[in-house]
Amino acid sequence: MHPFEYAAPETLDQALGLLGEHGDEAKVLAGGQSLIPILHYRLARPRVVIDINGLLLGDIVVENGRLGVGALVRYHQLEESDVIARRCPVLGEAARLIGNVRVRTLGTVGGSLVHADPAAELPAVMTALDARLAVASPSGRRTVAAREFFTGPLTTMLTADEIVTGVEMDAVSSYGWAVEELSRRAGDFAVVAVVALVSLDRRGRVDDARVAFGGVADRPVWARAVEDALRGREPTADVLAHAAQTARDALEPPSDAFVSGAYRRHVAGVLCRRALARAVARALGRT
Amino acid sequence: MTDAVATRDALRIVGQPVVRHDARDKVVAATAYAADWALPGMLHAAVLRSPYPSARIVRLETKRATAMAGVAVVLTAKDVPRNTLATDVPGQTTAVGPLRATLHVLAEDRVRHQGEPVALVAAETLELARDAVEAIEVEYEVTPGVFTPEAALAPGAPPVHGTGNLLAQWRIARGDVAKALAGANVVVEGEYTTQLVDAAYLEPESGVAWIDSDGVITIRLSTQVIEHFRDVAEVLQVPQNRVRVIGTYLGGGFGGKEDVTVEAYLGLLTLKTGRPVKMVWTRQESLLSRAKRHPYRLRYRTGANAHGEIVAQQIELLADAGAYAYLSALVLLYSTVTAAGPYRVPAVEVDARVAYTNNPPTSAMRGFGAMQTVFAYESQLDRVARALGMDPVAVRRVNALRRGDTLPVGQVIETHVAIPELCERAWAALGPPTAARAPHIKVGRGLACNFQPYGRIVWLHDWASAWVGFEMDGSLVIRCGCPDVGGGQASSLCQIAAEVLGVTLTRISVHVSDSALTPLAGTTTASRQLYMSGNAVLKTARELRAGLLGVAAAMLGGDADDLDMDEDRVVTRDGRTLAIAGLLAECARVGVPRSHLGVYHAPAGEPVDLATGSGKVFPDYTFGAHAAEVEVDTETGLVRVLGYAAAHDVGRAINPQSVEGQIQGGAVQGLGYGLMEEVVVENGINLTTSFATYLIPTAADVPDVRAVVVESGEGLGPFNARGIGEPPIGPPAAAIANAIEAATGARITRLPITAERVARALGLLD
Amino acid sequence: MIARLVLNGRPREVEVRPNQTLLELLRDTLGIFDVKEGCDEGVCGVCTVLLDGRPVSSCLVLAAGLRGRAVVTLRGLERNGGLHPLQEAFVRHGAVQCGFCTPGMLLTTLAFLEREPRPDREAIRAALEGNLCRCTGYTKIVDAVEAYVRGELGHD
Ligand SMILES: Cc1cc2nc3c(=O)[nH]c(=O)nc-3n(C[C@H](O)[C@H](O)[C@H](O)COP(=O)(O)OP(=O)(O)OC[C@H]3O[C@@H](n4cnc5c(N)ncnc54)[C@H](O)[C@@H]3O)c2cc1C
Ligand code: FES
Ligand code: FES
Repeated sequence: MHPFEYAAPETLDQALGLLGEHGDEAKVLAGGQSLIPILHYRLARPRVVIDINGLLLGDIVVENGRLGVGALVRYHQLEESDVIARRCPVLGEAARLIGNVRVRTLGTVGGSLVHADPAAELPAVMTALDARLAVASPSGRRTVAAREFFTGPLTTMLTADEIVTGVEMDAVSSYGWAVEELSRRAGDFAVVAVVALVSLDRRGRVDDARVAFGGVADRPVWARAVEDALRGREPTADVLAHAAQTARDALEPPSDAFVSGAYRRHVAGVLCRRALARAVARALGRT
Repeated sequence: MTDAVATRDALRIVGQPVVRHDARDKVVAATAYAADWALPGMLHAAVLRSPYPSARIVRLETKRATAMAGVAVVLTAKDVPRNTLATDVPGQTTAVGPLRATLHVLAEDRVRHQGEPVALVAAETLELARDAVEAIEVEYEVTPGVFTPEAALAPGAPPVHGTGNLLAQWRIARGDVAKALAGANVVVEGEYTTQLVDAAYLEPESGVAWIDSDGVITIRLSTQVIEHFRDVAEVLQVPQNRVRVIGTYLGGGFGGKEDVTVEAYLGLLTLKTGRPVKMVWTRQESLLSRAKRHPYRLRYRTGANAHGEIVAQQIELLADAGAYAYLSALVLLYSTVTAAGPYRVPAVEVDARVAYTNNPPTSAMRGFGAMQTVFAYESQLDRVARALGMDPVAVRRVNALRRGDTLPVGQVIETHVAIPELCERAWAALGPPTAARAPHIKVGRGLACNFQPYGRIVWLHDWASAWVGFEMDGSLVIRCGCPDVGGGQASSLCQIAAEVLGVTLTRISVHVSDSALTPLAGTTTASRQLYMSGNAVLKTARELRAGLLGVAAAMLGGDADDLDMDEDRVVTRDGRTLAIAGLLAECARVGVPRSHLGVYHAPAGEPVDLATGSGKVFPDYTFGAHAAEVEVDTETGLVRVLGYAAAHDVGRAINPQSVEGQIQGGAVQGLGYGLMEEVVVENGINLTTSFATYLIPTAADVPDVRAVVVESGEGLGPFNARGIGEPPIGPPAAAIANAIEAATGARITRLPITAERVARALGLLD
Repeated sequence: MIARLVLNGRPREVEVRPNQTLLELLRDTLGIFDVKEGCDEGVCGVCTVLLDGRPVSSCLVLAAGLRGRAVVTLRGLERNGGLHPLQEAFVRHGAVQCGFCTPGMLLTTLAFLEREPRPDREAIRAALEGNLCRCTGYTKIVDAVEAYVRGELGHD
């Protein structure tokens, strides 16, 4: 690691003050599970590292039917929290698929979103949920829709002096859910990940469906077409397969040295169908 | 069958799953690995490596780096007393002929692969050393490179070295292959591709060097070959007795620590600075620069008659040596000799070549050329069986070698070949078949056999020595220059000595792997260490025992042959005992030595002419059969191994628990090779220089491995053991490929068998 | 600057550089070599320590940020000089070959069993997924954990 100064603010205002002072010469440190490897490889050489772990951003709260998750909530909390299990269990299922147990001890919701790995689970979940990120900067506060936040591989709309303080989303307790992914090795980043949420009306027709993909583009992909293909329809195997096919056809995943775009696309279709089927089964179990 | 079986019941400690003495240290982390070592005033070292696979060094400027505060020294090629390192046959003189196996310690005017070392730095801290590496200015002029062996051998290809790109070629011809193929009932043709693979031990290359009293440059490092002290002395141009290598317990070796790693650099830096120096490679460096397992292209035509008996094999092998020769010629020899499999094949032609490229260099890795061929010959045999409607066990039974058969190279198999029994037992060990858990899941089983030489090529005249001696209190010391790579090498030596000398295991201490203080025993490679050092300790202990019992016989009256040593005593037939301490005191009084240095010489032979099939190449072979049950997701191509059994005839299991451990560990490395491992190189650039991209199996990727240990009582090692270090890594890839075909009808011919490759073979992406 | 931690039960204050990891603090500054270094990127698990009882990669933790938290390394398992029963199980069941992965395996296993005391083999494998072993093929490691869970060695 390159030498740098270390600052550990106690409050958000202090942290924002430091960011305002150092701008793009500073790096925010949360769980460190992406930032420290980057520093080890000397791919980033910040002059100051601002450790935000002393900030009070680690709460999970429910207010007016909305779920708020602080930026410093760790993956293992998503796995273990009762509130999450009741209000938004898809978050727990997604968190269990992230990396290894040590990553889940320290990795944070905010860090995962800001790091914006195109194959990461939480960005895809937040995209499916249409979550809103709360962002603070020395000059004020704003919220950003997850569906707009990610702008490319490892890039977001966040500016150098901003901090994500948390995410807010609808509690989706009445939805069936599933996260399906295929990885090259147990615990690895997904080749393709699919997040599906389905709610049914009283007649068993699809009331709402939300689907997003990870690993198929330079950022998470919201599969709006699936939702349109499902809404109001009876979720038979054929209907689900057709919806998955529609989603798949809209994708043009890139190739890399390990996996071709064509294969990603194929797998996206298969996993989408499976995720929908599981989500529907769960929704039936709930209604 | 042999004396080992006859005396089997009499064995007391050999054959027991005794707890390894080193395991106790390791669970409390008391083992000091090479990097777990520090000396006062120690400097930290770093290496500058080439970012290009093929380039000329136009300018190399170290002034700025040298001037940095805290930097002790910066070295380039011109600072190296003798900048050439011979890599022919580690630890041994050779009669193999001119292998041209040398490389530069530091690059001179050219770099031939990405990661080739260009300069060294030693500084007060590791961070400073890395900063200094960044401050060295190098100007490269990129030159055209060659990145496949096919391209390397094409006319007009840019030469990697001054000579042509063909590094070595071996040929075997036996019988009339064309005629036999013409008369065959089935002929199966296949082309197989195996990938570049890394040893990927968890402990990176590491060591500390210092100058000890009398100017002896002492290097304590993680190595499979302490005999490299001679190579370091040559580089430093100091007398060979002024360099000492202390080998630590290794955090894994698998062939990757057979060639020189950090020792020459450490020797240079400590010599130039006069201070202790530590060098630990990063994982990136390790994955980038250390020699790997050769990728092969294997073309096979296999003919069989209606009974499934192979009548002919025509085989063409092409391997990628990367930028330097290292052990490529020998690796290719192993492939050539094993190419037709552990089967009777009357007519065989093998044409094997290995070429230089600007890819990462390749050299020794577990399996050593005898494993790439398994994927091809076992896939071929399965296809023959399928064409004839035979089951996998039957086709192997009819073809298996038997004692007295002659290999295509002309070597007569002198020991028992357990292939049929191994096949049956491995297959049965899978238990009742698993039902497919969903309609899109298909389940299938596959079998694959192999044979792997153990011990060195006979014309290398291999030997090993050991020292065994009693202290006055009856405790025993073993000294043997054998590196312990984690397979329980040192512990097995204790068991052997305990067996012969009747000493309680806890009263033995063993010192291994020190070129100055332990008698040299050769390398822990080639599955030779138990065979060679084990035999050396056995012979030494027996000779010591004879001397001691002579004294005991005089004390007790009667014949030395009637005495036994057991539980730290001498015991007579009629039950009288003599405490070992008493015997030792008597030895001291009458002047009979209580210690002994012994040398074991492996059976040696003359170099053979492969083409005419003139004789013996290896001392002997270890045979195996593995069976796998897999499920294939026919919608994604994802393969999961549900069950796995690995059977080997180990001759005699000195420590059954260690043997099982070798089999299970080797099989899982083989599964990694089969399913996920690949060093991906694009135009000479390695894209897998981290453990996040170079994937090895985790506990969740593999099933339990049932190790089936068969003891034929025949083998050349101590108590008739056979080498078992390498053999278990051979069959898994083929067993998986065969199981996938059984499940789905799709034949995979390229490793690793990724989900995408299976999906393509299933036609999912058309 | 000063890093504060409770190391194997003992409060410590140690002078560190801002860019020093917990792994470097333990090995280079304190000479605690029961924590190994294998990849420096959180994948291999040989640098595992317990941070407030949960496993972390010490290669990915800044020492400066420890804020007095509890760090346990392998030597924190010592019981009056004897082996912890899980260590005993590893020895007896041949779960140790080169031993480089062993400290991390032991710590990860214990943290896991705190939360899931009666796992089956599959759950054990899943729990150890982040700790690579290149030698054993894992079977005997799972055997050892299972034996410990069954209380074969006087545990419980
Ligand atoms: C071995 C391994 C395997 C992994 N596997 C997966 C996987 O399968 N799936 C997956 O999704 N991820 C995986 N990861 C990455 C992991 O999820 C990281 O935790 C995550 O990407 C970053 O979160 P963090 O809290 O550790 O953030 P850090 O590493 O501390 O920071 C990451 C980036 O975000 C910025 N940042 C962090 N928090 C904030 C904030 N609140 N406001 C503004 N900027 C902020 C930092 O400045 C930095 O640029 C893996 C990591 C490792 C080491
Ligand atoms: S060294 Fe920390 S996980 Fe590998
Ligand atoms: S025992 Fe060697 S890595 Fe596990």
